[in-house]
Amino acid sequence: MTKPTIVLLAAAAVLQAQSEWPSLNGDLSGRRYSTLKQITVQNAAQLAPAWQFKPASGASVIKGTPVVVDGVLYFTVPDHVWAVNAATGKEMWHFNRPSRGDRIANRGVAVYKGKVYFGTPDAHLVCLRADTGQQLWAVPMADVHFGYYMSNPPMVVGDKLIVGISGDAGDVTGFLKAVDPDTGKVLWTWTSVPKWGEPGSETWPSQEALLHGGGTTWVQGSYDPALNLIYWGTGNPHPVLNGRDRVGSNLYTCSIVALNADTGKLVWYFQPSPHDTTDRDATESVVLIDGIFRGQPRKMLAQASRNGYFFLLDRKTGEHLLTTSFGPQNWSLGLNKRGEPIPDAKKDPSPAGTLLQGSGTNWWVPSFSPATGLLYVNANIGVWSLTYLTNGAVQGGLDDHQGGRESALSPGDPALLALDYQTGEVRWKVGYGNPAGILTTAGGLLFTSNSNYLVALDQTTGKTVWKTNVGGPASNAPITYELAGCQYVVMAVRDTLYAFALPESR
Amino acid sequence: MGGVTVPTTVAERHYYSGMKIRLLVLVCVAAPLFAQGNRWWAWPADPDPQAVERGRVQFVTSCGGCHADNLTGTAKGPNLIRTSRVRKDADGSAITAVVHAGIPAKGMPSFQLGDGELKDVIAYMRWAVQKYDRVSPGAPPDDYPIERLLVGNAAAGKAFFNGKGNCAVCHSVTGDLAGIAKKYPPVFLQARFLMPRATKPRTATVSLRSGEKVSGELKVLNTYDVTVVDGGKPRTFAADEVQVEVKDPLAAHKALLPKYSDDDVHNMFAYLWTLQ
Repeated sequence: MTKPTIVLLAAAAVLQAQSEWPSLNGDLSGRRYSTLKQITVQNAAQLAPAWQFKPASGASVIKGTPVVVDGVLYFTVPDHVWAVNAATGKEMWHFNRPSRGDRIANRGVAVYKGKVYFGTPDAHLVCLRADTGQQLWAVPMADVHFGYYMSNPPMVVGDKLIVGISGDAGDVTGFLKAVDPDTGKVLWTWTSVPKWGEPGSETWPSQEALLHGGGTTWVQGSYDPALNLIYWGTGNPHPVLNGRDRVGSNLYTCSIVALNADTGKLVWYFQPSPHDTTDRDATESVVLIDGIFRGQPRKMLAQASRNGYFFLLDRKTGEHLLTTSFGPQNWSLGLNKRGEPIPDAKKDPSPAGTLLQGSGTNWWVPSFSPATGLLYVNANIGVWSLTYLTNGAVQGGLDDHQGGRESALSPGDPALLALDYQTGEVRWKVGYGNPAGILTTAGGLLFTSNSNYLVALDQTTGKTVWKTNVGGPASNAPITYELAGCQYVVMAVRDTLYAFALPESR
Repeated sequence: MGGVTVPTTVAERHYYSGMKIRLLVLVCVAAPLFAQGNRWWAWPADPDPQAVERGRVQFVTSCGGCHADNLTGTAKGPNLIRTSRVRKDADGSAITAVVHAGIPAKGMPSFQLGDGELKDVIAYMRWAVQKYDRVSPGAPPDDYPIERLLVGNAAAGKAFFNGKGNCAVCHSVTGDLAGIAKKYPPVFLQARFLMPRATKPRTATVSLRSGEKVSGELKVLNTYDVTVVDGGKPRTFAADEVQVEVKDPLAAHKALLPKYSDDDVHNMFAYLWTLQ
């Protein structure tokens, strides 16, 4: 195993011990690691229900991750926010702002200086009073008529809110905005796809190709305060399956970007999927790791990507350190000198159908434990499909934003993987993983969902130490926090939040 | 509203096809609740198909020359799919005003269409925008043209069938596959010869520590549980306490997937297409 003491050395810079869960991923490192250790590998088997909360109305599936600040737990579904007592699960307030737009998911809230912020199906950023749930303002971040929506809350960086955008319809272009938390005023905007003539536009064949957009920013990024850099993954280019009309690498889609937090200027980029032609976006968590790489202490960034590759970068410079594959695929010819996969044009979608194999992960968030040096990922291994380039052959000659079609053949094997960040090697694997988020703790535990259960595993070995079946797999990512000497773990299954704790600590 | 196409599109989005089956279960629970209000267009979904067709003819005649028949624009006229005025026009008045007055400064003439004609044109434009905004690729439609698929060599496909593919071990072109090409739309046939829909369930033999063996239809197999139906009665075991031997009727098809080249796929399709 990795030597835990060495890994831990430099971890303090981005990892602060906290008893609550104040932001979507607990802190801004994307690690989803809690320093709490009341619940341990030894006692987790005694975990028992502490409370559960099922909203009286409005909730379909809770896909959001709760945030806990000052003893109050906030969670969302599209158009709705609830505040509940984090120790008892009793409702304090409920806010509803009906809107029209895509409601596939809402991932949660941000809390800053007594205010709660969340995004809506009609692409508004809404600010509420944290104590009452009263709306203070709602400001559009994009135009819903074009298919934009907000599924993620903003990320609080210093005195700014960093807003990403969702949308996978029409010619939408992704962006990040820095917003004034008092007024909703936009302070800077960075767009994923450049304008013609700007840096990056040389990777597109024409202005028209650029106008199709892409690169949405629908999974929350991370932030390094010492470097003052914001890190974010971007989505796929458009048309999704038709690469012939956009020859080139199509920057900055399917990319990991580092932006100066004050100005929004691009400092470096790395492209996990140059010239993507099958929706292998790179929006997945960008996880900050401080530790050793080949004998040297490094400030790093890791991503287990939707294309089945694990990437490790130097997060100060963007220098590529390591690329490994965590599942079979048949579309890559290998790596270029930057460590980015080289797509095989022969495996692009074609009029007669292309037999495609892929592996990867997606929006459900991974976790990194500095104690083990392992990045834990719920992945899907060996998916088969036929991909078609349709150009004009469907819907009476009307081409669309997809540019193609895909017939599913074989769904692949979902599995929880423990990846050694220094080598990319799979240290252990548990089959039948779920599309659910992951949490690790200083108690040596990994919380997630597997098969039909909510589970706690020993993060060193992958051995199950606790499991409970409350009616299905988790629909969100687990969190943990401590209140009045009791550590809670909270997960959602369908329309209900479930809190667990050790009986003797309550 | 009737346009409840939302659940499937939502279910298929944002993850590769692999998670589709698993997640559909989750999403279906939610679908009725968020089917309402999921549209971002300013107008009702699913315009009247006859109005759309009349509008298409009118649009092609009057507008397509500059805006392209599919609204994506030409050198002479802008892309209307990306036009804010089109997307935000909840009652059709904005489009009506532009059509009637033209935009002389930009070289767009006025058109004196009747109310009915204009209504049809607007229906077509809305339909085109909705089609363009396709959220998920999904499988090709059943009428996907055969000539796009028929690029392989039937003789090479036959050789694959009897040789490398080992298909003849289980299948016969004069037996179970006789007339197969008549039974399915071509694009469906192509996907299904690669991976058929299972007609028989998976079965398993569970070996207990006691030495007892339980065989039957496999209902559950995951990290923790195994359930087989033995003589009509489901029996569940802890997965880590038993040995499980699974018989999957699709195992040969799954094992064959990595062995196909794209040429093999197209040749096999060309061969199966001869089985009319």
